[in-house]
Amino acid sequence: MKKIEAVIKPFALDAVKEGLSNLGVQGMTVSEVKGFGRQRGHREVYRGAEYQVDFVSKLKIEVVAASSLVPEVVDAIKEKAWTGQIGDGKIFIYPVEEVIRIRTGETGEDAL
Amino acid sequence: MQALLSELKASRQALMKAFRAGQETETFHERHAAIVDQYFRRSLEESASRRRLFRGRSSFSIVAVGGYGRSELCVRSDIDLLLLFASRIPDEAKSLVQEILFPLWDMGFDLGYAVRTVKDCVALAKKDFEVLTSLLDARFIGGDSPLFLKMVESIEDKVLAKRRDHFARWLRDTDILRLETAGDASQRLEPDLKKGIGGLRDVHHMMWLARAQHGLRNLRELETSGRLSHAEFTDLEKAVTTIRCVRNHLHDLSGRKNDRLTFEYQPGIARRLAYSDQPGVPAVERFLGDLHAAMATVKSLRRVVTRAFHEQTGRRSGKEPREKISRGFVLRRNEIHFPSATAVLEDPVLMLRIFEESARTGTPLSLEAQRLVREFLPLMNESFRTSAEVGKGLCGILSSDGAAETLDQMFETRFLDTLIPEFGNIRDRVQFDTYHLFPVGRHSLETVRALKEVGRQKEILLSSVYLELQDSQVLLLAALFHDIGKTGSNHARKGEALVRRMLQRVGLEPGRIEDVAFLVLHHLLLQETATRRDLTDEKVVVQCARTIGTPDRLKMLYLLSWADARATGPRAWNDWIANLVQELFFKVLHLLEQGELATPDAAKVAQKAWEDLQRQTAGEIPKDRLEKAFDAMSSRYILNTQAADMIRHVHLFERYSGRLALTERAALIVDARKDEAVGCWELTFLAQDRPGLFSMIAGALTLNRINILSSDIYTWRNRTAVDVFRVEDPGPGRVPEEVWQKVEQDLAKTLEGKLSLSERLDQKGGPSVLRRPGRPTRIPEVRVENKVSDFFTLIEVFANDRVGLLYEITRELTALDLDIRIARISTKADQVADVFYVRDAGGQKVEGAEEIEAIRDALKIRLAQDGNRIEQVASI
Repeated sequence: MKKIEAVIKPFALDAVKEGLSNLGVQGMTVSEVKGFGRQRGHREVYRGAEYQVDFVSKLKIEVVAASSLVPEVVDAIKEKAWTGQIGDGKIFIYPVEEVIRIRTGETGEDAL
Repeated sequence: MQALLSELKASRQALMKAFRAGQETETFHERHAAIVDQYFRRSLEESASRRRLFRGRSSFSIVAVGGYGRSELCVRSDIDLLLLFASRIPDEAKSLVQEILFPLWDMGFDLGYAVRTVKDCVALAKKDFEVLTSLLDARFIGGDSPLFLKMVESIEDKVLAKRRDHFARWLRDTDILRLETAGDASQRLEPDLKKGIGGLRDVHHMMWLARAQHGLRNLRELETSGRLSHAEFTDLEKAVTTIRCVRNHLHDLSGRKNDRLTFEYQPGIARRLAYSDQPGVPAVERFLGDLHAAMATVKSLRRVVTRAFHEQTGRRSGKEPREKISRGFVLRRNEIHFPSATAVLEDPVLMLRIFEESARTGTPLSLEAQRLVREFLPLMNESFRTSAEVGKGLCGILSSDGAAETLDQMFETRFLDTLIPEFGNIRDRVQFDTYHLFPVGRHSLETVRALKEVGRQKEILLSSVYLELQDSQVLLLAALFHDIGKTGSNHARKGEALVRRMLQRVGLEPGRIEDVAFLVLHHLLLQETATRRDLTDEKVVVQCARTIGTPDRLKMLYLLSWADARATGPRAWNDWIANLVQELFFKVLHLLEQGELATPDAAKVAQKAWEDLQRQTAGEIPKDRLEKAFDAMSSRYILNTQAADMIRHVHLFERYSGRLALTERAALIVDARKDEAVGCWELTFLAQDRPGLFSMIAGALTLNRINILSSDIYTWRNRTAVDVFRVEDPGPGRVPEEVWQKVEQDLAKTLEGKLSLSERLDQKGGPSVLRRPGRPTRIPEVRVENKVSDFFTLIEVFANDRVGLLYEITRELTALDLDIRIARISTKADQVADVFYVRDAGGQKVEGAEEIEAIRDALKIRLAQDGNRIEQVASI
């Protein structure tokens, strides 16, 4: 099992969600995050005063999937979150040691 | 004893059954208390301990205290009992408790009891006002009644008589504490039915105070002693019944003593109370709306009653307060009063005036004034509501510093909804979710409040935008009415129509009505666009800017979005959303202030262009074809092109479409027109847009030794490039029409890939027609600028003019993989200052320092080389 973590542009969420549920991904965690990568924050000057925006608003989605499904999940995110513009985001993949569903005690892929 | 218990159980079950069937809902608490009373009386008669106590000459009585004392026994309320003894508590008391109280515990009642002497009661009540309140509610159940009376008298003489004012202050402090801990229940989506402000505790507070100050025993006496009007008393009683009934259902459904009406129980209770869904308004939202209204009534009447009592508390010192007259109203104790009740009767407009005066001076209406407003609401007839005074009055109130507080009072007295009946429809509308913290009416007031307090924000951008507004009243009106359409779905559109009608009725100027209606219709635009659309997509921002039209409207919309979200709840606005909305704000602002939409009425210009086009081509071009062409035009094109030219271009586009079907990529139209006044030519090129097209046209002109004076290039949305070049006359000895034909042939071949312009131009050995020996050569200057536009990098080139210059520049830009989207070519004497709006192959701005350096260097080298070459040619 792998955890796929992707930082994407906010507007792309619905498309990504739909793409993933088409793959049969059962659940995901979404959080509002702020940060910067190559797309730095920027500075605005308004009537002589400066407004520095250090961090850009993004969404982070986290999905845990069976290892065999990972390439498809990654492709789906890549396809749906792509605009070709700077700031489209990044995808990170981590190994997951174990999953436990609290209610039933199921473990492993059954618990996904 | 066992028989009594079974009887208690059976009666209780019967009562519950009736209650669940919708009977006895109003009197449940009294019936419930009576059943328990019955048990205590009968068990006392049968009690062996009682007989032993009797024999030992210890007199005692059983007293109901607290909620049970008030006969307000809800489904899961505690039963609080006092076993009162005269002077000494005998050992036998313990067995009495065991005998008659313990079985109730076994049955699952929440039972609290105390065994005290009269002296104990007095001592405790002095120390702890909580105990005092429970004793104020005391009710005799059985035993020795003179003993009970003695206790009541002792409390009166030894506690109340001495500590009346202390007690009143303590009560007031507990209200403040309640507001902090349980909040204002009349505005909460998960209200605390008992301790919240507007909850049952408010009624208790009223009664305790009335009891302590005047010896009143029940709600009814508030009316009979003239402290509440009959209408107020009726409203209060109805409201209390509603809240109590909901509380009983909540206890029953949750199976415990639970006073917080959380979301999970709301739909169930709405069903039990027979609320049904209506189009756009679920049953649960209607139920909560009614409940909030009831709690708001309790809250406001409690204030009326307790303020009057509390004032008396302070007034014993005797000094009469000073009075001041202000515009016909009386200012006293920092409150504003009507001159008299008859004055209002004679001139109901005073009701509006007093609120204006209250907002102007920052003084709240006195209780008496509020009551008069409430009583005289029926005087506000249709002619009052439709007078222009109303519009002026509202605007005046909104611009005053005290606007938020005055609106609160207008809302609580229901003056606002009588004035604007549409507001009454949304007043108590609740949305059943965790997102909206307040009912719609309160939310609207909070939106206004947020704007009035914008200066206190850390975020100085908001306050500086606010200060720049041309007409902040428009924004404040929109804030007050932005959700006026929230009586069902699609509220923004519905609200727009409603607000137009309302504001016309009250005589607002048409221009301002337009602005308010616009803000109401689009109050979600910025936030929705910012969170759901791609802000790096130019089209998204341009679309937004087109809708908004002017910087001033944008600023108002930005402030409204912020205030609306802030007044919705903590989940509607945070830094994350603020960031996105701010980004959109700046991008749209840049477009409106500097970009192609920088004209004040871009939308109107476009509309007019469309009408002109239709009128002037009537009959020549079928409407659907015309529409297709117009839809394809970019806004920059529409705003910068004369109607006559537009019509010509539409005809050209018709011809071009025909060719496009045949030849696709190579389709081309060249149209030439002589501008007799200036003596130059205007060439219009239509072709399919592609990187390098501009350079190709410039090259084809250069090849034919034509000097370019200026150019406008447009790309329509259907990828048709419409490029207009103004060029010099070909010069003596050449027939212009032939030259243009040659240009078209060369360009067509280039588009087909059959001609290499650069090769042919190199063969020609550089343009030499415009040799001007001996003239000073300006060192070419290149600037790369990223601040002006959010979507383009600007490249500015300053150099000496010559044939082929534009071609050289654009060829270099194309070679650098830059896509030229807009070009502004201008020539003054022999100097050119050209501006190119470019993007890289990926459609992004060029922002890397290295890339920028590369562009600058490449252009400088190219321009310097050619400049040198010309000088060399010239010196031969």
